[in-house]
Amino acid sequence: MTQRRSFTALAALALVAACSDGNGNVKPKAISSLSTLGLGAVTERFTAEVNVYGNYAYTTTWGNRASVRGNAVKIWDISGTVPLLVDSLIVTGATTLGDVQAVGDPKILVVATEVAGGSIVIYDLTTPAHPTLITRYSSANTTNGVHTAEVQRVNGVLYGFLCIDPSGGAPARLTIVDLTTPSAPREVFSQPMGNPYVHDTYVRDGILFTALWKDGMKIWDIGGGGKGGSPSSPVAIGAARTVGGEVHNIYWYHDASNGSKQFAFVGEEGQGTIGSAASGDVHVVDVSNMAAPREVAFYHVAGAGTHNFSVDETNGVLYAAFYNGGVRALNVRGDLGTCAASAKAADGRCDLTKMGRELAQGLQSGAPVYVWGVQRVGSFVYASDMLNGLWKLRVQ
Amino acid sequence: MPCWRARSAAVAVAVACVLSLVAAPVRAQEPVHDMGAMNERGASTSVSLGAQAVALVTSARPAIAGGALTEGYLTQPAIMGSARLFGGRASIVGTLMLEGVTLRRGELNTGMYGEGFVDRRHPHTYVHELVGTLYGSAGAARGSLSFGRGYVPFGTDDPMMRPFVSFPVNHHLSQVLERLVAAGALRLSRVTLEAGTFNGDEPIGPGSPPNVRRFGDSWAVRATVNPRAHADLSASYADVASPEDRAGNGLRQKKYNLAARYHDGDMTGDRRYALLEWSMSDEYNRGSRAFRFTSVLGEGEMRRHGVAVALRIESTVRPEEERLLDLYRVIFPTADVQLQGRTRFSIASVALKRELPALGPLGAEPFLEVSAIAPAAVDRPAVFVPRDFYGASRIWNLSAGVRLAVGAMHQRMGRYGVAREGGH
Repeated sequence: MTQRRSFTALAALALVAACSDGNGNVKPKAISSLSTLGLGAVTERFTAEVNVYGNYAYTTTWGNRASVRGNAVKIWDISGTVPLLVDSLIVTGATTLGDVQAVGDPKILVVATEVAGGSIVIYDLTTPAHPTLITRYSSANTTNGVHTAEVQRVNGVLYGFLCIDPSGGAPARLTIVDLTTPSAPREVFSQPMGNPYVHDTYVRDGILFTALWKDGMKIWDIGGGGKGGSPSSPVAIGAARTVGGEVHNIYWYHDASNGSKQFAFVGEEGQGTIGSAASGDVHVVDVSNMAAPREVAFYHVAGAGTHNFSVDETNGVLYAAFYNGGVRALNVRGDLGTCAASAKAADGRCDLTKMGRELAQGLQSGAPVYVWGVQRVGSFVYASDMLNGLWKLRVQ
Repeated sequence: MPCWRARSAAVAVAVACVLSLVAAPVRAQEPVHDMGAMNERGASTSVSLGAQAVALVTSARPAIAGGALTEGYLTQPAIMGSARLFGGRASIVGTLMLEGVTLRRGELNTGMYGEGFVDRRHPHTYVHELVGTLYGSAGAARGSLSFGRGYVPFGTDDPMMRPFVSFPVNHHLSQVLERLVAAGALRLSRVTLEAGTFNGDEPIGPGSPPNVRRFGDSWAVRATVNPRAHADLSASYADVASPEDRAGNGLRQKKYNLAARYHDGDMTGDRRYALLEWSMSDEYNRGSRAFRFTSVLGEGEMRRHGVAVALRIESTVRPEEERLLDLYRVIFPTADVQLQGRTRFSIASVALKRELPALGPLGAEPFLEVSAIAPAAVDRPAVFVPRDFYGASRIWNLSAGVRLAVGAMHQRMGRYGVAREGGH
């Protein structure tokens, strides 16, 4: 019995040693590739964001393809190898539906609409394959266009965090609506912010992160930061300007292996020609002191630029949409801000590529892609590709 | 000090030099003339005034998605005036443009873009130009200092003063206008040098004033040589801060233009006219070049006994931006750093004109213009695929109408002070 326990302990130590990088950082579950399973093709419109809900995925559409407007939400059955289109929703008066999010409680689907007449459209998801319209909400503080709509609970109350486009002389603004009654959203906050955009938000544990483009990333207490803030009265905690600015999206990472909440990932959307070229890095910001966050690392892909993220916190893997660079999987477990001198850039930041943290690339071997969004669910990654539609990839 | 501020300071010094020249005692009483008032030579004070408008029907075949579109409107309605003051030591040039009233939805013009419009020409501002100029001379050199709203010393003459009613696609590559500009010009023998500083922002509507707070954030220089009578060669450069975003957050443009121009006669009599120009506009994001747009254009006109034939060949690359519900409009102003691509427009245009006998002071000239347009995507894969959007790979624009004019019109548009002389 004693021998058996000793053997078990030794085996556990060996396993830990095998999974450590020598700095005490636990390596994620091995990922060797992102293999393509199938494509749900969309050819008449450009595909935008993707959101998965059970066996269904919802993709939005963007801009004009020829003269067909990006006013459709596509509904996919993703239970098989190839996403199967089962229904579509058309939103009148919209040219772009840039963001979509399904919520489990209550069962609703929230879609952001642009440009003029900006709104959020809320659907009932009781029948996920065929959502039904509940209401379409717009106000003077959304009408310039809702670029993104993040739906999250804060202290038990469901809110929508809407990033509103600048228009004419009107600045960009953040508008927050109470979605407790989905049929009657109620605006609780609206304030100009961003330079020139507030492009996206991230909400978790009563903390709001705002992506303010040239003004960088800003952190707000909205109920979890101990500063007395709330969704109707956010209180600023701190801010960081990442290298290059153009802060587009944020993800605050909670490492399931050790409970660390040290890092936030910031997506930079640089200059690009949609369909063929992009630029912009993933930036790693140490937010252990939220009053003074600072960038410590980055991930760069030459000739491509990042867009939206999905993080597998259990396994410590960041999946990043990288437009023409397909999908990239990064090991984000452990200390991202400490690296050997050989892995540092001239400005002292750690280069995740030189740290060997790139795990896999997806959608890089076939026809050109331009990946807008990703979502990892189980052993699969779903990638919305502006040019082609919805891809299903297997994580191996 | 940011680079552009240093350059603006250099331009300011150049302007100051011209100012000192202007302030120097005027040696001769021979006035320095604005070409717009040449017919008033000799008078101590004179005023000229004219007005024009073009009644026009345009058809684009196809316009969008294979469908033809035909529209009619009054385009280029303008009142032009110039005054020569104080024995030629000062002048004022002004153009009141009324397209904000007659052309609010823009003029159908496949390939044309700018200021929130695409495949339509945007209406110009009511105060198209209002520029005052002081003149002076020292020895063989003559100088002028101009200030007001108008054209910066860059590129070529406004298309409105050229043979075709329809604008070339390269308007925003080859002219920078409707800015609050301070410009100095120095003319010595056959060489003219100009430098100016201005606000980079484009107007956001016909009634839009320049953003005064941004005055001085952009600058331009132009050198012109007149190798022989009626001919000029010019090279110009403009550094324009955030033209498409009034708040100053947009991309910076560095613009280049080379041009050769010949023009004998005047706007209404017998004349021969030719222009060959190359333009390039680079857009910079945080110091690195993001996009490049180029253009080559050649045009000419022969006018005899009231009948004119004109030809224009153009190859211009334009940006593609996100279109709105109205497919002829794009998001504007914009600080976005992404494009939907670039499209090269290759266009051949022919115009026939016939001057009618004047009815009193009113001149009338019916015309017919035909353009064959071949757009092609520059970047691939292309999000904007011209053939898919327009419904054809070859597009025809046909325009017919009559140009009406009364009084004295400007002979050139885009230059002030001593730079307006020579090579006309």
